[in-house]
Amino acid sequence: MLFVLFALSVLIFYLTRGLLPPTSALAPYITPRMDDSAKLSVARAVGVATNSCPSFQAFISLQNGCIVPVWEQYGAWAHNVLTGNWGYSLLPNVAPLTPTWDVFWSRFPYTAELAIAAAVLTVAFGIPLGIISATHNNKWPDHLSRIVSLGGYSVPQFWFGAVLQIIFVLYIRVNGLGLLSTSSAVATNCGICLMNPGTITTYTGAPVVDAILSLNAPYVWDSLLALVLPALTLAITSIGAITRIVRSSMMEALRQDYITLARSKGLSNRIVVYRHALRNAILPAVTVTGLLVSYLMGGVVVVEIVFSWPGVGNASLAAANVLDVNFLELYVLVTAVIIVVTNLIVDIAYGVLDPRIRY
Amino acid sequence: MSQGGDGSTVAHGRRADLRYALHLMRGNKLVLIGLVISVGTLLLTALSHLLVNPALANQEPLALRLCWNNPVINWGITNVKTCPTSYPLGTDAFGRDLLQMIILAVPVDLQIAFEVVASAILIGVVFGGLAGYAGGLVDEAILRITDIFLAIPAILLAIVLIVVLGRSLPTLTYAIIITWWPYYVRLMRSQVLSEKQKPYVERLHAMGAGGPRILYIHIVRNAVYPILIQATLDIGSVILTVSALTFIGLTPSPLLPELGNLASQGIANIFTAPWLIIFPGVTILLISLGFNLLGDGIRDIFDPRLRR
Repeated sequence: MLFVLFALSVLIFYLTRGLLPPTSALAPYITPRMDDSAKLSVARAVGVATNSCPSFQAFISLQNGCIVPVWEQYGAWAHNVLTGNWGYSLLPNVAPLTPTWDVFWSRFPYTAELAIAAAVLTVAFGIPLGIISATHNNKWPDHLSRIVSLGGYSVPQFWFGAVLQIIFVLYIRVNGLGLLSTSSAVATNCGICLMNPGTITTYTGAPVVDAILSLNAPYVWDSLLALVLPALTLAITSIGAITRIVRSSMMEALRQDYITLARSKGLSNRIVVYRHALRNAILPAVTVTGLLVSYLMGGVVVVEIVFSWPGVGNASLAAANVLDVNFLELYVLVTAVIIVVTNLIVDIAYGVLDPRIRY
Repeated sequence: MSQGGDGSTVAHGRRADLRYALHLMRGNKLVLIGLVISVGTLLLTALSHLLVNPALANQEPLALRLCWNNPVINWGITNVKTCPTSYPLGTDAFGRDLLQMIILAVPVDLQIAFEVVASAILIGVVFGGLAGYAGGLVDEAILRITDIFLAIPAILLAIVLIVVLGRSLPTLTYAIIITWWPYYVRLMRSQVLSEKQKPYVERLHAMGAGGPRILYIHIVRNAVYPILIQATLDIGSVILTVSALTFIGLTPSPLLPELGNLASQGIANIFTAPWLIIFPGVTILLISLGFNLLGDGIRDIFDPRLRR
């Protein structure tokens, strides 16, 4: 587990520092007013230029012996990173010399909220659809859930999100019903602009959680409404995947001998399905939880852009456009930590759920 | 390899198997739909440059106008602009015929999808086979390397790779290959692990066949079907990934006719010109649905547990 994170940090460091010109690592620290000697001393302080480098021009033209080798840079970087220093951010709309760490964590709660909401939707729709599909094999609930699952993993997420926006704004006219904010009513200085924002205290940075903690009911409603469409868009593919996994493992489980035995004992259908079959059928769905989390963390990039969601996925594209290597490194490694920890939890949960498995 | 008398029986059995599979296929409407869509997409790919002159994509002058002259659908927008020339799907943000651009875009996406899947299969067969057959340290090393790539969302790694390597169609392809191969390595490895136990491998050993020959000729031939089914399913997924990447702006040129690229013009004009995002998106949905239906159906047909 630690090996994966270490190897990934080497990989991402090599990509962003070894393959990109060394000046891109320097960009957040220099201002246009600096003269060349000041820039050179910044480059030395950042750890990309050697002390023997004669001038900034020599550094820019990648003169021999001017650039610190990447593996030496990695050592210094790893030390900084482990002490919490991820450098400054280069993102637009962020004040110069803002630590990347602060920028990332101010945006991260939005992404976490979106991903968790999508995970909740995935479980809430995917598992019941899969069960109904298996118990009503080849009847209309089965056909419906097969359409949902096939459509779910065939639909481009950006298109699904855009179509939801078009339907709800152009045709159902939710803004006319007062459900979503209209352009004249939005406040200018807010993450997600709501119609009647009110005030909330920032506890976590995630709007729904903060609104609940501040006991501001209108804000809870608004922030939940703002969450529904992006979360559904993010969840649609994983709903399809989970439905199909639960369906096939449930059908497999319902064919087993112990189900026939349970039925012949005279147990009710509900107990047979939900107590005997589901407990065994749910295991394959638990196995893919790690993949699901990985999928959600990747999907947020597209969904946040379609819905202008102020999270880290949206910022990562801006970071890619301005070559903000610090932000990209932090984003990749935080995501990797989340996925690796999820996989660990899944492995442990698997041992608990399935007594046959012992580590 | 000649097997004497039983060779013809095996061949006969295979032919009967195939005939039975085709029989099952005829009864399965969804597979037929998938087959029609997939073959249609391939035909469109082959014919696209005959149907539409590819030079139209970069034709000057690029008029910045959004035309829609279909009186039946008016999108509920009052200020939709109509143009004298007839465009069946309207024009895109550069004033080009959207239908022509979609026809030009399908081959671009499909080519990337085939390149990615073919490379992933190749890497998967070579390294997954090696890991499963050799076992021990080699297996461990290859598995740990796939772990690294599976610990990061594919789209995120692809973004970083495209930013680092530069924006062009080849780098887009390479970036997706780099994120895609670990799944095939794992799939091939598990296939080889189960094939390795079978008696025919032992017989080959006894006949004095070398490791590479056993692995890459005999085992691969028996283990490759699940991989081909996965590949059919993945054509759709790769197209979804490519179009998502170009949609968020990692595109070599805004003028490139590529489905995600065409759709990305639409997000800025989403309420003034909904057709810009709807039609390219529907095209992606259809292609991906077609290959998914085909792959699903083939898997059902070849899965012996579901046969009888």
